[in-house]
Amino acid sequence: MAALKEKLIAPVAEEEATVPNNKITVVGVGQVGMACAISILGKSLADELALVDVLEEKLKGEMMDLQHGSLFLQTPKSVADKDYSVTANSKIVVVTAAVCQQEGESHPNLVQRNVSVFKFIIPQIIKYSPDCIIVVVSNPVGILTYVTWKLSGLPKHRVIGSGCNLDFARFCYLMAEKVGIHPSRCHGRILGEHGDSSVAVWSGVNVAGVSLQKFNPETGTDNDSENWKEVHKMVVESAYEVIKLKGYTNWSIDLIESMLKNLSRNHPVPTMVKGMYGTENEVFLSLPCILNPHGLASVINQKLKDDEVAQLKKNIQKDLKDL
Amino acid sequence: MSTVKEQLIEKLIEDDKDSHCKITIVGIGAVGMACAISILLKYFISFLDYSVSANSKIVIVTAGARQQEGETRLALVQRNVAIMKSIIPPIVRCSPDCKILVVSNPVDILTYVVWKISGLPATCVIGSGCNLDSARFRYLIGEKLGIHPTSCHGWIIGEHGDSSVPLWSGVNVAGVALKTLDPKLGTDSDKENWKNIHQQVIQSAYEIIKLKGYTSWAIGLSVMDLVGSILKNLRRVHPVSTMVKGLYGIKEELFLSIPCVLGWNGVSDVVKINLNPEEEALFKKSAETLLNIQKDLKF
Repeated sequence: MAALKEKLIAPVAEEEATVPNNKITVVGVGQVGMACAISILGKSLADELALVDVLEEKLKGEMMDLQHGSLFLQTPKSVADKDYSVTANSKIVVVTAAVCQQEGESHPNLVQRNVSVFKFIIPQIIKYSPDCIIVVVSNPVGILTYVTWKLSGLPKHRVIGSGCNLDFARFCYLMAEKVGIHPSRCHGRILGEHGDSSVAVWSGVNVAGVSLQKFNPETGTDNDSENWKEVHKMVVESAYEVIKLKGYTNWSIDLIESMLKNLSRNHPVPTMVKGMYGTENEVFLSLPCILNPHGLASVINQKLKDDEVAQLKKNIQKDLKDL
Repeated sequence: MSTVKEQLIEKLIEDDKDSHCKITIVGIGAVGMACAISILLKYFISFLDYSVSANSKIVIVTAGARQQEGETRLALVQRNVAIMKSIIPPIVRCSPDCKILVVSNPVDILTYVVWKISGLPATCVIGSGCNLDSARFRYLIGEKLGIHPTSCHGWIIGEHGDSSVPLWSGVNVAGVALKTLDPKLGTDSDKENWKNIHQQVIQSAYEIIKLKGYTSWAIGLSVMDLVGSILKNLRRVHPVSTMVKGLYGIKEELFLSIPCVLGWNGVSDVVKINLNPEEEALFKKSAETLLNIQKDLKF
């Protein structure tokens, strides 16, 4: 007695085992991981999405919730498991897994706790997707991107941290509020370490190519009557403030889109800065980078003023101390 | 001394304070935020604001007490009625021409409550209802057949909850009704146990709540789907909760999900489905279940 499916559908081609073209894995289904997942699905960036976590019930629940929205999406396959075999053949792996930053917790403390987690995760990822690009979101991102690079053995252009991309997005948003223009037309650069000692490149802040420092050379300094420096301060504090209010930060990841769609957009993301700005150390700091399907294609040579270079170097020293 | 802004930008016309496409979301729990992110990802809306709701085109109400593990939607009722009494009047005062989309559970009863409190025409108050149930239904059918949910057609109507009614006679792929291939489809004697799919739909929320504490993504996407039809005046048909007095022999003022045409003006038409005697009986049972709760409501 033929099953209903057989009565309805007649196959005409050999069933082939298909390898996905654009598979993305998200490691960690906390708030950040799920925000990545829903954004990836909403923008139809992948033809397969895999989720991994150690919390099996939460993982299953999140997967079911996403699958129930399939009608409204164009990602044909979603899988989830504790076992990393589900991540096989991923183009991009987003690592959000981490222990949560506690209110007031220092970075060095966070680092040690996260390094142990990464020692387990990264080799598993590489085992099943040896040619992937890893995007590191977990904090402190500069350091953990370095740790990922070391543990994975991947070439440096395939290990990218989400770094100052978020600071950059926030900066543009706050700048846009002050000027009354859409954030996408306000340009500013935040480099260096994601967080407390990020460097705002005031010489580059502009709207439609018109530099703000042209109108007010004091922009961004302590003497600036309009207190633009406050905008950068708000960006730095926003992470702490949002953690206090919501317990996590999320909603702002668009690096993946740049890579998969080969948009060659540039983003301030952590990259290995050895050999640049006079440093010989292997350290990851955010610089404007062009991302494409192979990962981090190039770094934009930022013309920085002397005080900006000094601040960047200070970042490097600080990071080395923490490691 | 002019500011940097004044030097940079020359104003030509006054700022237009009234945004063209304003949506308000009341309630910023997991569901409210899932709606927000789904809408933002899909549409470029000029203003998405949940604190200043004046002149909103659509108000999405997700505010309410969360369904606890094992708690039925109906047990939430009285708690959420009190909440609606405090939030609906100011919303309607600020946006008298809006459409209200109710998501809070139990959605059918609360859509009725919001309608009563708002004083708006019934066509302007819509419950997200069985839009999600039908989406889950189509996903599960798609999994069983190996076909994308958008190509698997199936409708669930009635209560968004335990007494929802799956219309097995209408389930089809490319117009081929599955029931013509297997007349036992959806019955207890069906060897392939398709009926289990409907059971899974009913249990979905309970199961997801047990696993992750709440549901968010699917309902957010479902709401985005409805918002799209309303804002863009698409006139697509969705199974949403609307006033069903006068239909299928129902004499009371009651909101239940039936296929509705959604556009700029809210619900403009309903599709008159031919229910077979069994489906009609189930639909009436759904109605009775809700009326039993509704009659005891204190406003």
